[in-house]
Amino acid sequence: MPDAVVLRSLTKTFGEKVAVRDLDLVVPQGALYGFIGPNGAGKTTSIRMMLSILYPDRGEVEILGRRSAQEAKDRIGYLPEERGLYRRMKVRDLLEYMAALKGCQEAGLRRRVDEWLERVGLGGSAGKRCEELSKGMQQKVQVLAAMIHQPELLVLDEPFSGLDPVNQRLLRELVLEQHRRGATVLFSTHAMSHAEQLCDRIVMVHRGQKVLDDTLQGIRTRFDPHSLWFEPRRPEDDPAALASLDWVRSVRRDGPVWEVVPREDIDLSAAFGLLAAAMPPARIELRRPTLEDVFIEIVAGTGADEGEQSQLRAAMRGGAGDMEAGS
Amino acid sequence: MKKIMLVAGREFMATVSTKAFIFGVLFTPLLLLAMAVLLPKLMDTAPPKLKGEIAVIDPTGRVGVALGAQFSPEALAARREAARRKVAEVTKDLAPAGKAVADQAAESALGGTPELSVVVLAPGADLKAAKAPLMVDAEAGPGRLAVAVVHPDAVQRPDPSAPFGTYDLYVRGKLDDRVQDEIRRGLREAIIEARVEQSGLQRSEVEGLMTVRAPDSRTVTKKGESRTNEVANVLVPGGFMILLLLSVMTGGQYLLMSTIEEKSNRVMEVLVAAVSPFELMTGKILGQMAVGLLVLFIYAVLGISALAVFAALGALDPWLIVFLLVFYLLAYLTIGALMAAIGSAVNDVREAQSFMMPVMLVTMLPWLLWVPILRDPNGALATTLSFIPPVGNFVMLLRLSSTAAPPMWQTVLSIAVSALGVWAALWFAAKVFRVGILVSGKPPTFATLLRWARMG
Repeated sequence: MPDAVVLRSLTKTFGEKVAVRDLDLVVPQGALYGFIGPNGAGKTTSIRMMLSILYPDRGEVEILGRRSAQEAKDRIGYLPEERGLYRRMKVRDLLEYMAALKGCQEAGLRRRVDEWLERVGLGGSAGKRCEELSKGMQQKVQVLAAMIHQPELLVLDEPFSGLDPVNQRLLRELVLEQHRRGATVLFSTHAMSHAEQLCDRIVMVHRGQKVLDDTLQGIRTRFDPHSLWFEPRRPEDDPAALASLDWVRSVRRDGPVWEVVPREDIDLSAAFGLLAAAMPPARIELRRPTLEDVFIEIVAGTGADEGEQSQLRAAMRGGAGDMEAGS
Repeated sequence: MKKIMLVAGREFMATVSTKAFIFGVLFTPLLLLAMAVLLPKLMDTAPPKLKGEIAVIDPTGRVGVALGAQFSPEALAARREAARRKVAEVTKDLAPAGKAVADQAAESALGGTPELSVVVLAPGADLKAAKAPLMVDAEAGPGRLAVAVVHPDAVQRPDPSAPFGTYDLYVRGKLDDRVQDEIRRGLREAIIEARVEQSGLQRSEVEGLMTVRAPDSRTVTKKGESRTNEVANVLVPGGFMILLLLSVMTGGQYLLMSTIEEKSNRVMEVLVAAVSPFELMTGKILGQMAVGLLVLFIYAVLGISALAVFAALGALDPWLIVFLLVFYLLAYLTIGALMAAIGSAVNDVREAQSFMMPVMLVTMLPWLLWVPILRDPNGALATTLSFIPPVGNFVMLLRLSSTAAPPMWQTVLSIAVSALGVWAALWFAAKVFRVGILVSGKPPTFATLLRWARMG
């Protein structure tokens, strides 16, 4: 079975600016990939080249076993970042038209359109014009338009932006359903929380270059911070004093909680007991790396200064709505 | 190909199902027709009532009497009958429907029967007193409308080499100009009548000598002789050109607008993920081509029915319909391709304006050149323009529908050059379209478009 997406040394420049530099990427069939990075990292340009909307200056693209997405258009579903609808067209007509453009004209199409509209809560809007829908409703129609022809490869560019938490959850369910059906899914986001909730594999780009390509589990192991979150039970206890213990390497305050980093040779499960014995805890927790931490660590390795790091951190958290989506 | 037809089908339906299209294309001709029928009616519903009195101070003693005869009921009735006969003469070739329209127009133009009385005052009458009744409002109803003072030498000259005298006319304020015309006409006729009588001649004799009836004019061509129809000779080619222009511009404008809309609505990228930019552009051009053809069909049917009503169908060569279609395709494809390119490059309608100048020029030229070309359909101007696409399409259609058809080789060459023009325009548009649809931000210039066309 060929891989769904293969990119080899893809490079694209716009004038002076290098948007994508030597990007290699393999997405196996049936995978659920997150394509992450801050705004302007080159995600949309990469996706556009992948789909033959833009042509690379250098490098090769292979999509669903074909030399170009042009030859596999009908098997791909695409939700662009810049998405729109025909404002005057009726919702049902629009979805049927989009499906027909993708070569899908079977008899059951209308029923599927109506069913899907019902599922996303737009059952009563099938006969309305697109311009009569709210922005969030329009976005749901756009998502359906990308999926209605049951594609083998689903590419979603920033699908969550602009949706409220309820609809973000609905979208996640739709994506997972397509994935279970066997579709390969690749979606880009600048908000790491979405990737953490959905993906089994993460590709990170920064300044047009791939900086990370690993499974979520692999990333967690590789970037394990080897530390614990700690909160004392008694307010009078000062966790700063823990730094004097011989098994502790460092203690750092982070808001209401403290990060306790044991020595390298101390096993973390042993550290739980040692910490609880040293000071009565309200909470002890194994600190897991977030994609945000991983990203910042990688970027720091490339020589980004403090200011740039905090900017990136803010960018990757995305809007407040994005953060709460997982709750 | 299937996708192209899908795009074309949506484009066509989205355009013709809008209120703007239905109103603009279907109702405009109806509106024009209604105006042509109703406006004259409205204007003539109340022809001025010729009712009142004309005072004449007449030292000659002849004009006043003749004027009285001019406005007698018998004379008026005779004049109306003559006018009606003249109208019948002109409309005798028309089909019944056309005749009815013409008769109605003639009837309303003649207006109601005037009731004018003539008061002849003594030669030495006081002018000031005679004029006094004029100083009332026009609304004051019947009364004295005018005072005419005939010069003593108006009928008889003291010296045969000197010119005849005339008359002075004083009229009431706000007197309808048609009433004034009627009074002047009556006075002129009365004076002539008096002069002719004074000379001892017969009026009918003099008039007979002075009249040459309109000639029977025939146009001689290789195909044979035909009755010259001056009006049809200018109007039929003009009609064809307007038809061509109208349908090309309708399709072109809609194509421009829908492309800009797709771009500004951000629906473009969704579309090019499903169809290639070339398929999209081709589909859109074909869809609007059908819109233009629909417009062409509607107006052509209207035009042909109008010709049928006025029994002028003979002026129409069936080949012209074929040429109309051929030149429509050529002109539309050239202009439509340019419209698609412009629409894809700009971000909004305002930015499109600067690019529209050359296109508008192309559509203005035929209007400016209509008459010069018809005067000399095979002259240097007409011949040269025939080979410059897309203007050549309009010029060639004008020439083909004129009385002096161009040589066959010129028609063929013009079509060939236009076909090349279509190819070039489509090539350019495809290149620009592919880049333009995804570019946003800075408004593009001509240089940008050319750079895009040279890319890849």
